[in-house]
Amino acid sequence: MLSKKFTYRFEILGLLVIAVFLALGTRLFYLQIVAGEHYKGLADGNRIRLTPIMAPRGIFYDKKGVALVTNRPGFAVSLQPSLAYSDGMLSQLAAMLGVPKQEILLRLERGKDSVEPIRIKADISPAMVTRIEERRHELPGVVIEIQPVRAYNYNELAAHVFGYVGEINERELAEAKDKNYRAGTLIGKMGLEKLYDQQLRGVDGGDRVEVDVAGRIVHDLGRREPIPGNNLMLTIDYELQVATEKAVDEHLAYIRAAGGSPNAYGASVVALDPRNGAVLAMVSRPAYNPNLFATGISVSEWKKINDNPYHPMDNKAIGGEYPPGSTFKIVTGLAALETGKVTPEEKIFDSGTHWLVPKGNADGEALGWLNFYDALAKSDNVYFYEMGNRLGIDLLEQYAREFGFGALTGINLPDEAEGLVASRKYKEKVYQEDWYLAETFDAAIGQGFQLATPLQVAVMMSSIANGGIRYQPYLIDRIVSDQGKEIQVFKPRELGRLPFKADYIKLVQQSLRGVALEGGTAAQLAKFPIPLAGKTGTAENSHGKDHGWFVCYAPFDNPEIVVVVMVEQGGYGTTAAVPIAQKVLETAFHIGPSSAPGAKSAVPAPAAAPKKYN
Amino acid sequence: MLTNRLLRSLDYTLIGATLLLLAISLVMIGSATHINTASEDRYWYLQRQGLFALLNIVVLVVSLYWDYQQLARMAKGLYVVNLILLLAVMFVGHSALGAQRWIQIGPVSLQPSEFSKLIMIISLAQMLDERKDRLQTWRDLVPIFAYVGVPFLLVMKQPDLGTSLVFLAILFGMLYVAGINQRLLFSIFGAGVAAMPLFWHVLKDYQKQRLTVFIDPGADPLGSGYHIIQSKIAIGSGMLTGKGLFEGTQSQLKFLPENHTDFIFAVIGEELGFIGCLLVLTVFFVLIYRSLQIALGARDDFGCLLAAGIVSMLTFHVLVNVGMTAGIMPVTGIPLPFISYGVSSLTTNMLSIALLLNIYVRRQKLFF
Repeated sequence: MLSKKFTYRFEILGLLVIAVFLALGTRLFYLQIVAGEHYKGLADGNRIRLTPIMAPRGIFYDKKGVALVTNRPGFAVSLQPSLAYSDGMLSQLAAMLGVPKQEILLRLERGKDSVEPIRIKADISPAMVTRIEERRHELPGVVIEIQPVRAYNYNELAAHVFGYVGEINERELAEAKDKNYRAGTLIGKMGLEKLYDQQLRGVDGGDRVEVDVAGRIVHDLGRREPIPGNNLMLTIDYELQVATEKAVDEHLAYIRAAGGSPNAYGASVVALDPRNGAVLAMVSRPAYNPNLFATGISVSEWKKINDNPYHPMDNKAIGGEYPPGSTFKIVTGLAALETGKVTPEEKIFDSGTHWLVPKGNADGEALGWLNFYDALAKSDNVYFYEMGNRLGIDLLEQYAREFGFGALTGINLPDEAEGLVASRKYKEKVYQEDWYLAETFDAAIGQGFQLATPLQVAVMMSSIANGGIRYQPYLIDRIVSDQGKEIQVFKPRELGRLPFKADYIKLVQQSLRGVALEGGTAAQLAKFPIPLAGKTGTAENSHGKDHGWFVCYAPFDNPEIVVVVMVEQGGYGTTAAVPIAQKVLETAFHIGPSSAPGAKSAVPAPAAAPKKYN
Repeated sequence: MLTNRLLRSLDYTLIGATLLLLAISLVMIGSATHINTASEDRYWYLQRQGLFALLNIVVLVVSLYWDYQQLARMAKGLYVVNLILLLAVMFVGHSALGAQRWIQIGPVSLQPSEFSKLIMIISLAQMLDERKDRLQTWRDLVPIFAYVGVPFLLVMKQPDLGTSLVFLAILFGMLYVAGINQRLLFSIFGAGVAAMPLFWHVLKDYQKQRLTVFIDPGADPLGSGYHIIQSKIAIGSGMLTGKGLFEGTQSQLKFLPENHTDFIFAVIGEELGFIGCLLVLTVFFVLIYRSLQIALGARDDFGCLLAAGIVSMLTFHVLVNVGMTAGIMPVTGIPLPFISYGVSSLTTNMLSIALLLNIYVRRQKLFF
């Protein structure tokens, strides 16, 4: 009998059977107990479809309630995550959407851990929506998402203030992992859009449904309504912003064509309320159209922007650093008065050049005996060289910092520049050299190492206009929820007070008034119906024609607005910048255009130009 | 009219295990074919499986009155019938899922390759019974291999790789207990492993594909890898206690293909969890273990070999089917005994139980 003779073989067979069952049991233990949660997640991924409903971004309103940045309805195409897609289907989708298949594969790869659909293309046309719906069964896993598209209603208007939105990139995604961003999310990339992204983006909603293998909806698991982002009520005055941009564009075109400044493409203007620091208008040139980015900019458009040597993407009003030129004489003058280095009455003789260092006025003119008023109104260099000489670089540095130079103003915009205050320390650090007197002379008239942003210069002018209070400039009056609830109210913020006697500030104000009177460097504004005070400036530029400055405030007795104009490679402030400021003021005070068309009227023919000093 | 003595000598453990598996089968087929959702023919699979289960129980009871030893005489005849049926499949059969495996007889689609497994066990038991003292050299094995080889190749040609592999499991299981020289057995295994690459060329493309995706299911997640991926998700997501009967999302929402036939174990895993899986495996283990006991206690070597062949067949089926659904065995398309839907498979397995019981009740000479 086999069972007797080979009993051990039956036993071995039995052991084999036991081994088989142990192996199967172990495997099941692994699948169901050890890795059960993982597979549960995969099973849910199979059956649960999430169709996100994107929250509309918060709207930007100007100070009077004009909607500047809104949203328009749009559709986006996405693919369900954690599904396997056939090559053929992806090819078909790629061809329909005009997106390279490589790109789709890349996006799928990037979003492979996502639970929400992976964005393939934003803002498709309604016709494309129909085409995709018609081919639903050939395109399993394709989701049409309702996606509000950011709309910059006035295109380039205040583009640098608003910024733009674009698809989140890998770096941003890695940085913001905890903030519930997903691949394909639109995120603020610049300006207010970037800084207030969290406030603006709202909370996406979504439809959750259970589907079967064919994608048919079996159960509705509920909808979560999106919560729109919070709205920004800006301090910007739409009307003033429009007029300012128009004035800049027209005048730049004019001086390029007829003013001998063929490279005057870059410019910036800041208009502030000196009573609180609210920004009324902010312009930077050249500009770009943020609408191009809202749906993904084309390569050729991007190349055009990128290749522009005048950097259209930069906000020059807060990020451009220029020698403040003669506008800085305000700082030097006040410092000298306060420290008693000069009295208002003391007269200094301008023989054309200073007696210690052979430096003089731009055109080598000699203005003779000058007191403080005359020197500032006529922007005499020799007088202020002497002020620098008497103060020394250290005092000059100390007082420059009192005005906020060399530090961020803290305006609510990203990418602000600090500028630079000339100092021994800086020179030592960068050049490992001692300080020279000639450099003090340069610093005293805002040249040499001195660098300032137009916004910093505007803050300086504001604190002169309001009698000595340095306010932080700001762009947002309040943030309001979609339901109208106030989320955050911005109050004027005092950063400091100028350490000068009121009399001295008054004297500077008077002298600046003189700038805009006959004999001053902005004499073309003498007949302006509203009395105003100003200061021209010219920033030396070793790379091309000098940059022109003009800073002013009005009305003189009760200032409501400060305007700062900077024109890159525009030459003298008198011709390059003053006419723009005039246009801005006309709009601000609702004064009809001053005779003849455009900015030309304000620009005297070169031959009849007033004496130019820097 | 079972006599008291017959009733007393039945193996109730084996019967209980079988009935338990049939009950599980009907419940799970019901769930897998969505009898809880309204549709006209939702009971079709359940009714057929239930009907054939009952028919087979009747056949089983009746067959007990008849002595299995008579099968030894019929073995050669059955062998010939088997060849005829397999040839019939080649010429008049119809195909499904890329393989020609079925022949239509009246309302029933039969799968001769299922029955051929049992016929193989019977013919081989008869043959080995005669040759059990001559299993020492290669030459001794040639006639045996030739005998098994003919139906083996016919089944493989269908193609039904799974069933042909079952033949091998039966052959070696039976050769082993029949006393084959162990060194010879190891040489055969060695030669078999060495011949693997040659074997690869014999495979059909879809079979190669299945083996490829077994190694790496991600290689073709929509095609042949799909079954494995979805099956593993189904089982794994059942976790300890399962999602509940009729509540398996993988099965109910049709992510799991073939869920009432080859992949029914994944439905068990998903809906009844690890506990349900262990219960089913335990019942199988008890059944197979009892079968081994029956082999040991058989009255003669023919019965012993028959039971050993059935043990090999059932064990291999459970290993390959459960292993396949759990992703540790390639997809070969062989059903889970008693539980997968399929009347040919069910009948073959029930006849196997009938044989085992027949051997068991005749274990003592004094009986009858």
